[in-house]
Amino acid sequence: MGEAGSITVLTPTGTLGYGFGAEALSRGMTLGPAVIAVDAGSTDPGPSYLGSSKPLVSDYSIRRELRDLISAGHKAGIPVIVGSAGGAGTGAQVDRTTALVRSIAAELGIHLRLAWIYADIPIERAKAAVAKGEVLDFEAGEPLTETILDQTCSLVAQMGHEPICAALEGGADVIIAGRACDDSVIASFPIWRGADPALAIHMGKILECGAFSAEPFAMDVMLGTIGTDHFILEPGSIDRRASVKSVAAHSLYERENPFFQGGPGHAMDLSDCRFEQLNERQVKVTGARISETEDYYIKLEGARLAGYRSICIAGLRCPTLSGAIDGLLAEAKAKAIAYFAPEEVAINFHLYGRNGVMKELETESPSGHELGLVIDVVADRQDLAHAVCHQISGGLLHWHYPGIVNPSGNLAFPYSPSDLDLGPHYEFSAYHLMKVTTPTELFPVHFEDL
Amino acid sequence: MAHRPLHQLADIVRSKNAGPYRITFDVIFTDRARYEHVRDSGAITPESVASAYGLPLSQISSFFHIDQAMAIKVTIIRPRAQGSGGDGDMYGCQHHVPLMKIAVPEDA
Repeated sequence: MGEAGSITVLTPTGTLGYGFGAEALSRGMTLGPAVIAVDAGSTDPGPSYLGSSKPLVSDYSIRRELRDLISAGHKAGIPVIVGSAGGAGTGAQVDRTTALVRSIAAELGIHLRLAWIYADIPIERAKAAVAKGEVLDFEAGEPLTETILDQTCSLVAQMGHEPICAALEGGADVIIAGRACDDSVIASFPIWRGADPALAIHMGKILECGAFSAEPFAMDVMLGTIGTDHFILEPGSIDRRASVKSVAAHSLYERENPFFQGGPGHAMDLSDCRFEQLNERQVKVTGARISETEDYYIKLEGARLAGYRSICIAGLRCPTLSGAIDGLLAEAKAKAIAYFAPEEVAINFHLYGRNGVMKELETESPSGHELGLVIDVVADRQDLAHAVCHQISGGLLHWHYPGIVNPSGNLAFPYSPSDLDLGPHYEFSAYHLMKVTTPTELFPVHFEDL
Repeated sequence: MAHRPLHQLADIVRSKNAGPYRITFDVIFTDRARYEHVRDSGAITPESVASAYGLPLSQISSFFHIDQAMAIKVTIIRPRAQGSGGDGDMYGCQHHVPLMKIAVPEDA
């Protein structure tokens, strides 16, 4: 696909387990990639996957897709790298993914060298950093404290490319990394082989979402080839193309500053980047610059258990309710808080058809003939959350209001039971930067020959 | 003066989390003249975006014109952290409508 000495990375999809085309993978493999690298997680699905360590994607989907990738990598004699395994990249999620790799290797009857890299940060290590003033707020809006760390049940940090390079140096064929900076997962192999880190990391930023940087966009195969002063992007599927528009647009995706972006141990300057349409399906990118930061900071991501949640889903159809509903909800909430005092409960309503999505940011006038209501209760015990939720749903069902036409019930429940226990509720507790001595000290690499 | 909503002039108006504490909006154009018209119209500013969402200006975290990508980017501080009680949009991906409805004056 490129000049001599160039390095091609194949990224099969934006999130491992979200799918890719078989034709796109087989065509992509004919283009001579040197590595298959894919991201498997993010904070995007919310704090639950970090707090609970339950996997974002089912074992079924991860196993099915990893089997295809490991098989393709084995045939081509190239490594397969997975970053942020399991969704949040916790130790339990890494272990769950490596168990799938062992089972796949056995099924395929192949031998391979497996490496895995944990990204869990010991709470005591973070406390020591706080005490030394080596933790900075990133965007959490408050400083990280010992108290917050005591409440934190799950703490990981985004690794840079260095621990993954260490696994490659150790001869790994399959690398399952815990929480990793998305770009680093893609950039590690090219950097290990001597590519310009600025180009490799910029390519990683675009490639990590797979063919989301192509048109039509999809969870599908995307390839990037790094040369000496540029990289070239091309989708695996012949039915897609990379365009200057699709690639430039993707450079903006999910990040605040389009020109300057910090990462582990570095700062990227993308202000002079250029995108050039090479041909119908390929885009050439140049101009990224990188500088190493004086100190090496890693981004911490922590979650704490904030209670247990019960919900109730109901529809409202009578037009007399639409004028009364705000008052009803406020009354029902106040009554529940008084009824269960001194127990502390958090009660929220998502009122679809009104402001369910945007809450206080909604400026539009209500319209439509139906309203959807989710009653959302969080308490420090599941049974208490359930009790409060049902007190509200049962109460609202039979609440009298002025102008009522139908006194036999205000809520249309789609389910029995009407009140559903969702289990533990987690919140983000840390989103801070912590100084480290070396890029690899907190990301131990383990090897196993299968 | 006649006005058109932003989404009739831009090719993409989107919202998405940029970490758990921000929602970032991208307005992307394929036509340079239309991009420059909107950019220079004064209709899309930190102030007008804050107003469209009923936010104080202090909640606008950043605002960029990105000429090489023909894009306008604005980021807000989430009223509540992603996934905390009452959050109704885990990915922040359905917050674009007030922005896309901002009226942009047609050519003077």
